[in-house]
Amino acid sequence: MKRVAITGFGVVSPIGVGRTAFWDALAAGQSGIGVITRFDCSTFDVRLAGEVKEPLDLPEKVARVAADDPKVGFAYAACVAALAEAGIKRLGAGSLLHLGVSLEIFNLEKVVRTGKPDFKAMCERCLSGEEGPLQIPLDTAASLVCDSFGRPDRALTNCSACAAGAQAIGHGFRNIRAGLCETAVCGGFDSMINPLGVGGFQLLGALTTDNARGPTACRPFDAARNGTVLGEGAAVFVLEPLEKAVAEGKEILGEVCGYGSTLDAYSLTAPDPDGDGAARSMTAALEDAGIGPDAVAHINAHGTGTRLNDEIEAAAIRRVFAGVWERIPVSATKSVTGHMIAAAGAVEVGACLLALVRGAMPPNPSLEKVGQGCELNHVTGEAAPFDGEYALTNSFGFGGQNATLILRKYNGRHG
Amino acid sequence: MAIESADVVVTGIGMVTSLGATATATCEAWRTGCVARRATLEELAGTSLERAEAAALPELDAAERLGGRRMIKYMSEAAALGCVAAHEACEDARVRERFRPERVGLFAGVGLAAASVNDLLPMIRESVDEDGRFSCRLFGQRSLPATNPLLSFKILANMPPCIVSMIEGIKGPNFIFSPWEGQTAAALLEAWRAVATGEVDCALAGATDNAAHPVTVVYLKQMGLLADGEYPSAGAAYVVMESAATARRDAPRVYARIAAMDVRPSDGTTHNPLAVRMGRSFAAAPAILLALACGLLHAPDGLQSRLPVRLCGADGREFRAEVKRVSDGSDRSDQSDESDRSDIEGAA
Repeated sequence: MKRVAITGFGVVSPIGVGRTAFWDALAAGQSGIGVITRFDCSTFDVRLAGEVKEPLDLPEKVARVAADDPKVGFAYAACVAALAEAGIKRLGAGSLLHLGVSLEIFNLEKVVRTGKPDFKAMCERCLSGEEGPLQIPLDTAASLVCDSFGRPDRALTNCSACAAGAQAIGHGFRNIRAGLCETAVCGGFDSMINPLGVGGFQLLGALTTDNARGPTACRPFDAARNGTVLGEGAAVFVLEPLEKAVAEGKEILGEVCGYGSTLDAYSLTAPDPDGDGAARSMTAALEDAGIGPDAVAHINAHGTGTRLNDEIEAAAIRRVFAGVWERIPVSATKSVTGHMIAAAGAVEVGACLLALVRGAMPPNPSLEKVGQGCELNHVTGEAAPFDGEYALTNSFGFGGQNATLILRKYNGRHG
Repeated sequence: MAIESADVVVTGIGMVTSLGATATATCEAWRTGCVARRATLEELAGTSLERAEAAALPELDAAERLGGRRMIKYMSEAAALGCVAAHEACEDARVRERFRPERVGLFAGVGLAAASVNDLLPMIRESVDEDGRFSCRLFGQRSLPATNPLLSFKILANMPPCIVSMIEGIKGPNFIFSPWEGQTAAALLEAWRAVATGEVDCALAGATDNAAHPVTVVYLKQMGLLADGEYPSAGAAYVVMESAATARRDAPRVYARIAAMDVRPSDGTTHNPLAVRMGRSFAAAPAILLALACGLLHAPDGLQSRLPVRLCGADGREFRAEVKRVSDGSDRSDQSDESDRSDIEGAA
């Protein structure tokens, strides 16, 4: 089986666009969470999110779609950056594009543009061409990337909620490793920061209403955690066979070496209290990488800041890493980015990758007192030095989909 | 990417289509030349699409088919169709009794979000300000408190297959793709690969799409995705794949062997052998086509020993597969000559 190199990485996040800005903020524990500016949220219980503030340089065709659906612009920008870093100008035979995303945007303004919420009037406006497309299908970002860079053998749009980005990378990794493709462009993108997205999660009770805390409102594993904060953005990677990348003189940022994917099959409205699906996901990734729990030197937890999820994940980590978990530093970067839903897994792969490259693990700056049942070796306060070989990242999706990825530091040896 | 395997068979099928509410009914209707009943959509009366037709699904009591599950209240129509089809396939192959849940994978396609505007209109009505514009302030103040929190479960794209996993107890590797034919074809291919490589012992693969939803119909017309004379249809289908070895061990029946499968860029023209008689069900179509081919091959008086299937979708992807009859544990299609080679349209 082939070793799989990461040769390109593009990121758009609430804490920075591009990997230097992203890492600098992450390592400094600088939060991108603040009061929502994209719409008037003054009457919402939830008024915080991690918004992408930096303008993106997008072609006109993409910018038009992104005006209605910002996540499409995030995906495109991240793809462009990743491909540029990998030195790839065209996608064609032998390539795979796989992007994860969660949900179509619903533009509520469009429905009431005639002065009343009138479905029939809206239909007529759409059919007459007065309005743009009624829906923006989830594969729109992939289609725009294909328009610009050519058609790969396969262009996939994964809608596995919070696990989608990690699944897309796991799929790309497996395809490169098995020799089924030569280039995989994969990652995740999302934005739920719109009235219905924020409102929907608010109704589910998943978001914190502790608006006064501002930048530190998302508190993974903290005793006082009371909900997550939505974020938005994208992260995209280029994966290639290691030997090919070395032969072509490309910079190897790191390796992907293990992937696990499971389902909870438990309940629609509550996570499995045993964390069985989460534990099996981590175990499957370790087996896939051919390493034992003691080889893992860093974990980036799913760590959402919700009461049940954090406790269940911590218990699952302690179970899988029994006997060694106290030695493994755990970061929870949603504390500064917010929960970027389908983009989260991919962005957190980026955090792990940069931890390996930069030799430091990002802190969880909002963690003040570890919650009961959340005991792990948390990285708090400042970034911690890191000299390990393997890093693991978890993504656990709404609906019970779990994905775990393991990255390896590239040591310059490829034989 | 083409995969060839000698060892992946289909042991369960489930369908809800415009031709029948079960796999058996759908196959029988296809064999006897039936065509879907069509109807106009009430929600589009008074619009320029008031004469546009969509396929009408047969009567279906999803709660009864699923054993009176309370989870029905969380389901969109697409989710309910998918759950019924998946349940039929899993029961058919006795998946729960024969496989460890961790060794069963789920690979699915879903269509465009179709629980959208109609479900949202009541909450939007409360959000119109004095000038007749949508007001976020009113939305937060009046609409959200009056909205059922369960709405989120109906609109999240991954929910239909996730609910399948909960009902059927499936805990293994998984992918969910959206929203067109090529994405479902990719899910079928992933399922086949997962069984062929031993990643899973069993894979439930299929799709659901509510393409006859009024919002979706408007979008399809707006984007020119329904040609003149074409009509949309809701539908769902799942197949159970496993290795020939486990099937020989204890499968109730083997419908067919999947001899080849491939998804590749198409030349841009659409080709859907189901479209005329069933309507276009987009994401569900490749799964329906595969399940139908398996069902037709397995019919006691079926004439074909092999069926090639081909479908080119709205997303510029071409799905090809070849399924072969397996009889009495031996694959007699290998002895058949090319003269009995037919296609799905010829199987009527």
